[in-house]
Amino acid sequence: MRRARAVEKDSIQITTVKDLTWVFESLASTQVAKVKNKVQMSTEFFKLLWKRYSSIRIDPKKRITNRDESEQNKKQAFVIITAEAGLSGEIDQHLIETMLKDYDSATTDIVVLGSHGANQLTERKIPYVRFFKVPESENYIDVGPVIDAILPYSKTIVYFEEYVSLGVQEIRSINLITSLKDMSEDVDEDVMTAGNTIFEPSLDEIADEMEVTMMKLALSQTILESSLAQEASRFNAMAIAKKRATEILGGYQLEYHRAKRSENDRRMREVMVSLKEKRKRQGARA
Amino acid sequence: MALPQTNEKLKVIARAPFNVYYEGDAEAVTATNRVGKFDILPAHADFFSILSPGEIIIETSSEPIVFNVSNGIVTVRDNEVMLFVNI
Repeated sequence: MRRARAVEKDSIQITTVKDLTWVFESLASTQVAKVKNKVQMSTEFFKLLWKRYSSIRIDPKKRITNRDESEQNKKQAFVIITAEAGLSGEIDQHLIETMLKDYDSATTDIVVLGSHGANQLTERKIPYVRFFKVPESENYIDVGPVIDAILPYSKTIVYFEEYVSLGVQEIRSINLITSLKDMSEDVDEDVMTAGNTIFEPSLDEIADEMEVTMMKLALSQTILESSLAQEASRFNAMAIAKKRATEILGGYQLEYHRAKRSENDRRMREVMVSLKEKRKRQGARA
Repeated sequence: MALPQTNEKLKVIARAPFNVYYEGDAEAVTATNRVGKFDILPAHADFFSILSPGEIIIETSSEPIVFNVSNGIVTVRDNEVMLFVNI
């Protein structure tokens, strides 16, 4: 059995680990709430803008989808949204494995967001055509360069981790163009035409600008979703670490009390033995 | 800027993806597009435009709301002004 003092020393270290995991868990929880709020605001923004976009074309969904249908002969792009650094556990590995199931180098180019994913692809010797840091900002996500990179492709599939709930995150892939259909709701909006509306600079230029804007927003939403899922994963990892630290600490406390009692018992035995011997010696003298 | 005497008000929504600049009634909105600076007053014709970088001024019954934008879309329809900015 270890000495109580040694157990106490280990116990203090585990208490520090437990306190740290508690702090990280709290930070992750705050981040989850913050990003969740952003997702909600961004979704509302998208819906409002979609409502206006719907009003300038009879079927804006068809216009966006047409880009997909008219350029069938071109390559497709896989966009993979990974973490910017480590601490993302095995999520990025799973993301890459899922993407590779559909990957054909002859027909597909990979665009990677996040250093962690880029490193993993390099380790696996899988080529990617473009790399971007995950665009992140408190007020604005600049996905312009990413959109410029994927516009020439006939189809863009985005692989990312989706937030289902705090405890559940799933890997998902979406077609960026057709996903616009899913993200928007059908709106009963009167058509704004050149006959009843002033368009500046022109209806066509506005339609083109809006199309790219809607794609930007769709990609930003996906990045936010991914970020939310990553924060939730961190929260879960910290919650598990805290639980494990608490269990270890409980074990150490039990071991400490046993060691302490054992030490006390030993001391007591020593006292009793010495008393007995003293009495024996006194008896012999008498 | 001298505002015309009218009881009509604009209903203004000014938003960025993660920010609500203003939502409520207003007397006028000033913004900039490729043509130049323009004002939107009550009873303005239906309008759809791409915003250029610059200042947005929303004249409310109290303090004017002023903020800068890098890009955006503005629409006017039946006295409802929507500003989607910093996209």
